[in-house]
Amino acid sequence: MKHLKLYRICLRTAFSQALAYRADFVMGSLITLLSNILFPLVTVLIYANGATFPGWNMWEVLLVQSVYSMSTGLASMVLSSIVWVTMDHIRGGSFETVLLKPISPLFFIMATNCDVQSISLFAGGVVMAVISACHTGVAGIGAIGSFLLLFVAGFMVLCGMDLIMAAISFKWVGNSRIPEIFDSISNFGKYPLSIFPQAVRVFAVMVIPVAMIGFFPASALLGRLDPKAYLSIIPCALFMCFGIWLYNKMILLYEGVGG
Amino acid sequence: MSIIQVENLVKSYTTYKRGSGFGDSVKSFFKREKVDVHAVKDISFEIEEGCICGILGPNGAGKSTTIKMLCGALYPTAGKIDVMGYSPAKDRVKYVKRIGAVFGQKSQLIWDIPPIDSFAMNQAIYDIPDDIYEKRLKEMVELFDIEEVIHKPTRVLSLGERMKCEFVMAMLHKPEIVFLDEPTIGLDVIAKTKIREFISEMNRQGTTFILTTHDLEDVEQLAHRVIIINHGEKVFDNTLESLKSTLGNKKIITLTLAEPYKGETLGGVEVIRGDNAHKVSLEIDLDKQGIKEFLDNLSETVSFLDISIKELPMDMIITRIYNEA
Repeated sequence: MKHLKLYRICLRTAFSQALAYRADFVMGSLITLLSNILFPLVTVLIYANGATFPGWNMWEVLLVQSVYSMSTGLASMVLSSIVWVTMDHIRGGSFETVLLKPISPLFFIMATNCDVQSISLFAGGVVMAVISACHTGVAGIGAIGSFLLLFVAGFMVLCGMDLIMAAISFKWVGNSRIPEIFDSISNFGKYPLSIFPQAVRVFAVMVIPVAMIGFFPASALLGRLDPKAYLSIIPCALFMCFGIWLYNKMILLYEGVGG
Repeated sequence: MSIIQVENLVKSYTTYKRGSGFGDSVKSFFKREKVDVHAVKDISFEIEEGCICGILGPNGAGKSTTIKMLCGALYPTAGKIDVMGYSPAKDRVKYVKRIGAVFGQKSQLIWDIPPIDSFAMNQAIYDIPDDIYEKRLKEMVELFDIEEVIHKPTRVLSLGERMKCEFVMAMLHKPEIVFLDEPTIGLDVIAKTKIREFISEMNRQGTTFILTTHDLEDVEQLAHRVIIINHGEKVFDNTLESLKSTLGNKKIITLTLAEPYKGETLGGVEVIRGDNAHKVSLEIDLDKQGIKEFLDNLSETVSFLDISIKELPMDMIITRIYNEA
């Protein structure tokens, strides 16, 4: 309860901070929205030119991609600043200002650095998902329940990724390109899993379960989910737990900078 | 009663030597030379409740590392720290609730919003009841005279205004111990005075302060106790009075001579500094020669127009201790 209240206050502070520069806020939100909304246009172009993702029609693929946008939008809003803020603190030697707060450093950074502009990405994803679902149809109320469960699992994967990236920076200061690798890996979640070779499928389901970010929740909505996909929730939860454990462990390595 | 006990504290870490220039950069890209840094070497001390303790030392001496370990922000490599019964790094969450810290070079305020919003966030973090928060905030804002300042965005504040807000931020939850790492760095005389008055007032109300600084006036005006660290080792630990007398019973005499100074010994004492041909400074050891005896000798050897007799300046004492260590 205390953490919820604290999160609400910190979030309000983060909003005030983001709104301090109005033009930057508006432009940033628009650019985030446009750059991510343009991506599905590639899918539209592929289908308009007669090519397909075998076994999937255009609106089904767009649904996968819009769920992916929703997941990454929510994760960006809540979590992505953990990576950059942690990196900045370590490089600048100011992480002690975080450690001076009588709460979890992870929670403090997460609550005080909400990326408000990513709301546009999440909202854009929701709009696209609704439009796509209107064309494909939804396989009943149960499907929506499954979608929500798997959506949360997908969020856990993104959470794990961000925490691992942030944790690495305690040892490997200045690893600013690492997020690009993780972005590339998470991109596998944007497409129907069936188009990938077997090895990639195993990786995307069991090792770093990126299929959970977009593909599995969208499949649940479409009623096309293989029940075995629920097993992937376990690696998703483990992945997030590993991220939290690693981050907290790596804090012990913090050495500050010369004073 | 000791509120802080430090035993055989050690902090070492490994870094890499990277040389300078393009050649060295390329070389170090393929092979880096490991360097073991021993920032703090076997330091022990105790600090009494209600004390203001100044930790002095040249740059890189290990002061900030010691303070950060005392705050729970850094893990010691070896040794034991006990503050109010807590091991700072191990019991961090419980422990930091009872301490405050101001780092002169690192802000805890949020840059783009007014300090009052940062204070409100701290109220939530430290779970301070509304009535206590309001009372405490009012008290400190009045003490610093910053009623208007706290409503402006932090980024538009002057350094002095920002530092005052940093103090408010660090002390809203009424910490029992406050760690200050160079709190007056870069401030003008008025801001320094205000901050020193604030520290004295809070100390009168019972707060213990541990202070690192390069400004010896901070120490002279505030500290009851001084610890000097050099090359990671403790080289002095006693009262301010003891520090002043550590080089013996000495005075600095400054003379304005009637004739230009020609390099002679004046009153049996060597000249330590000549500001110009007519103005010179001497250091006299009163344990070897009384002031009357010196003045008698002086008036026999030289004629002077003006004389001033002062205590040995703190910077001179500290410099000698640094050099001797």
